Amino acid sequence: MRIMGIGGGSREHALAEAIARSAHEPKLFWVSEDRNFGIYRLVKRTGGEYVLAKVTDPLKVASLAEQWGVDMVVIGPEEPNFHGVVDEVEQRGIPCIGARKRLSILEMSKAEMRRIQWRYGISGKLLFKTYRSYMEAIKDLEEHSELLSWLQNVALKPARQAGGKGVKVIEDAQIYLHNEKSRFKQRHMRWLEDYMSEYTDIEDKILVEEKVWGPEYTLQCFVDGRTVIGMPLVQDNKHAHEYDIGPETGGMGSYTGKGLLLPFITREEYERSLRIVKSMVDVVQRETGERYHGFVAGQMMLTEIEGPTLIEMYSRLGDPEGVNVLAMLETDIIDIFEAIINERLSAVKIRFSDVATVVKAVAPKGYPDFRDIAKDHPVEVNEALIEKFGCRLYWGSVHLDDSGKVLTRGSRVVELLAFGETPQEASQRIEDCLVEGVVRLSDGWGLFHRSDIGSREMIRKRTEIAERVRRLYTYRERMGILGKRVDWIPRVGKVDPVKELSHELFSCVGGGSYESG
Amino acid sequence: MPGLIGIYPFGLGRENWRLARFVYYSLLALQHRGQELAAIITYGDDGFHKLFGEGFADEVFNEDALNTMPGFIGIGYVAPSKEQHPVFIESPVRMVLIGDGKPSLENSVQDSWRAFGELFADELSRTGDSLKAARRVIEEVDGGYSFMTLTENQELIAGRDVHGVKPLEIGSLGFDLGAVASESSTLDVLGMEHIAHIKPGEVVRFDPYSIEKSQVKSCNEPNMNRCSFEYVYLARPDSVIDGISVYSVRERIGMILAKERSVEADIVIGIPETAIPFSLGYSRVSGIPASLGFVTTGRKVRTAIKPSIFERLMGVQLKLNPIRCAMDGRDVVLIDDSVVRGTTLRNTVWNMKRRGARRIHVRIGSPAIMASCPYGIEIPPPDELIARALDEREIAEVVGADSFAFLSIDGLCKAIGLERSELCLKCWGCEKR
Repeated sequence: MRIMGIGGGSREHALAEAIARSAHEPKLFWVSEDRNFGIYRLVKRTGGEYVLAKVTDPLKVASLAEQWGVDMVVIGPEEPNFHGVVDEVEQRGIPCIGARKRLSILEMSKAEMRRIQWRYGISGKLLFKTYRSYMEAIKDLEEHSELLSWLQNVALKPARQAGGKGVKVIEDAQIYLHNEKSRFKQRHMRWLEDYMSEYTDIEDKILVEEKVWGPEYTLQCFVDGRTVIGMPLVQDNKHAHEYDIGPETGGMGSYTGKGLLLPFITREEYERSLRIVKSMVDVVQRETGERYHGFVAGQMMLTEIEGPTLIEMYSRLGDPEGVNVLAMLETDIIDIFEAIINERLSAVKIRFSDVATVVKAVAPKGYPDFRDIAKDHPVEVNEALIEKFGCRLYWGSVHLDDSGKVLTRGSRVVELLAFGETPQEASQRIEDCLVEGVVRLSDGWGLFHRSDIGSREMIRKRTEIAERVRRLYTYRERMGILGKRVDWIPRVGKVDPVKELSHELFSCVGGGSYESG
Repeated sequence: MPGLIGIYPFGLGRENWRLARFVYYSLLALQHRGQELAAIITYGDDGFHKLFGEGFADEVFNEDALNTMPGFIGIGYVAPSKEQHPVFIESPVRMVLIGDGKPSLENSVQDSWRAFGELFADELSRTGDSLKAARRVIEEVDGGYSFMTLTENQELIAGRDVHGVKPLEIGSLGFDLGAVASESSTLDVLGMEHIAHIKPGEVVRFDPYSIEKSQVKSCNEPNMNRCSFEYVYLARPDSVIDGISVYSVRERIGMILAKERSVEADIVIGIPETAIPFSLGYSRVSGIPASLGFVTTGRKVRTAIKPSIFERLMGVQLKLNPIRCAMDGRDVVLIDDSVVRGTTLRNTVWNMKRRGARRIHVRIGSPAIMASCPYGIEIPPPDELIARALDEREIAEVVGADSFAFLSIDGLCKAIGLERSELCLKCWGCEKR
């Protein structure tokens, strides 16, 4: 069997590994922009081929697939989906695991995702506003500065999925610090407008969403156009640094508990989250008339206002979350892919091993926001020692050049994975391994990782926060005000910010309430 | 016992922050730790900026100054003495150092911090690694202290001595700011998430690209020497120190006092503000109702740490106007946090009796202060400490009380929830080494 994979990060390395261990004895063919050392070796081992090319070029990818005569193409990252790679490959009669362009709107446009969710009344929503320019945003924020508006406490985001960069969360709840915070907000919005000018495939530039708090978790799923099957929950950690401080990254590490749930998420919350993701897939299929074949994920948060809440969606596996679930997957992944292609996923029993996993990313100093200085450092990894500690290595943002040197590309260099009875145990295993200096940059440039991911203290803290949030949203549920945001403002009267959303939704085609079973 | 704050921006647009006002409001939240000197130091594109003066933070800094002060990294400092300044080092490295407690280097607190700063700067220029340098200095310098330093390389380094005498807590705001403060309540005031404490013997470094921490090897739990005075008096009750809530310690102190030295009375009154949680705990266990006994005038002044007798008395008289009907004709359990000289207590008790209180049983939410503090808390010389000269009965007579009792040392340890060996009890005359 000949399988072609797209993408060159740790998630793709984990995908390649899962495919390579299939009983179907596949030959791997791969395309990515940098040569991932780990994938490269798997490709060589299985007797396939590795080509460096632009993964967002549908014609290039599709003609390579034809040339290699592959049986299917598996997409790792999101950008090929956004650029119609899946559409082009399928056009030529080659099955593909990946979201078609119009379906991947769920991830590509954070603004459109939210509009769809509101239009169909799918639960787990956030208030939002979109702007096409920074001036428009500033003007609107100024108009609302006197009111006790939700616009004071917001997340500022690029309206498009843009490499996980540029998200700021500003809670402006202390009037005495208002000037400082609003100045910072304004400057960031100007930056967002600049940053978004690179992207011509979307009209919305800036997305402002109400700020929420609570524990986050990722629910990744297989989809075959009829069935959505949830995988074990994973908790990713977005802050760059220890103690949950610092800028948002693609993810510095993630963990799973044993089984389907995380220690701080209930069965019912899992089911609700899965219903939300399913509903989103259903409605996007309904709106586009296309079938979704591949991966989908909800990046979720338990919030006081709505309970399980959709923060963003992925049209692929998460990175690092994908690494956790792929390592736990016991069912042959090619059997699953074939079932997806034939739309008979519901007939496949998908099993995951009953262990806790932790993944930790190791990144060069400068990641995530100053990648220029994080780039082009030579990497040295002691793979034998990593194996001896019972950890697994996944190569990330590196390039194996023709002279055999491995250089950093500015993002996470490697991810290490360990199993354990508990996340704490797995986390400690990785710490013991990293303290031996198994990953280093031979020019002396610094690397960092988060020691706290999966630790007892972290899980205790998440559990405590989850309990506080649960108390609040179940109170709302009892009172019949789950998801309601009605307020009363002196001289203005009753205010319902949901009503003000109508102009965001006026291009509305559907309507009413929708929730799939 | 100064108050320390350091606020540090990360990531994209970090230089867009102006943090002077964040530091200013931190200092208001830390004001109880020092009311004689206040300083804000920021670091911006053009280097360090300093603003400081004598007095309360809101007297020292005005709106104009705060509005125009640049800088995207900020540290701040309040001190209980005009002699305790931030330490500025010009060479071999440019940096500023602020500290709480006292490294055992020189006689005076200020000289010790200067020596500490010079040692650190030398070590830093020698090793080129501020984390290593800080760890070395902590290994070498004994004492009880927490410190924070900001270098010209935009490194903010914070650490605690190996015995964990003085507190330091860590917080964060969104994807942008990290902070280190003497007390967690300061982080609350900034709208930050309180995350953890810096561990005894631990150093944490913020630089533009990372947060790194390092632990001194010789540091182990049996060596702990946490300041018990923090829990009794120094810290705000809404703070959490090393994972222990100050309010709950104070409530337990009152509960233990009611068990240790019970007495019949009609009403329990705590002297504002520190002793109010004690009185609530005492009331709960004794079943005697608690009442508000005083209303204060003017700003919060910490009477025990005011320098002169005149200022202390002025402080207490302004602070404590008795509510007559609460005490008139009643037997009162009066609870205060500590007794140093007895001056202010005497004033209060006689005042209450003149307003009609029948009997007054004084209970103190801490043991007798018997010795000076080796870590810089300003305690008067031995011949000014009433408990060194008089026993409880004699103190009762002097202050005009019908009975008088201190909390026992064991009671204090129990209230904090730590072993005697884990706490510094030196000011209560309790030596352990």
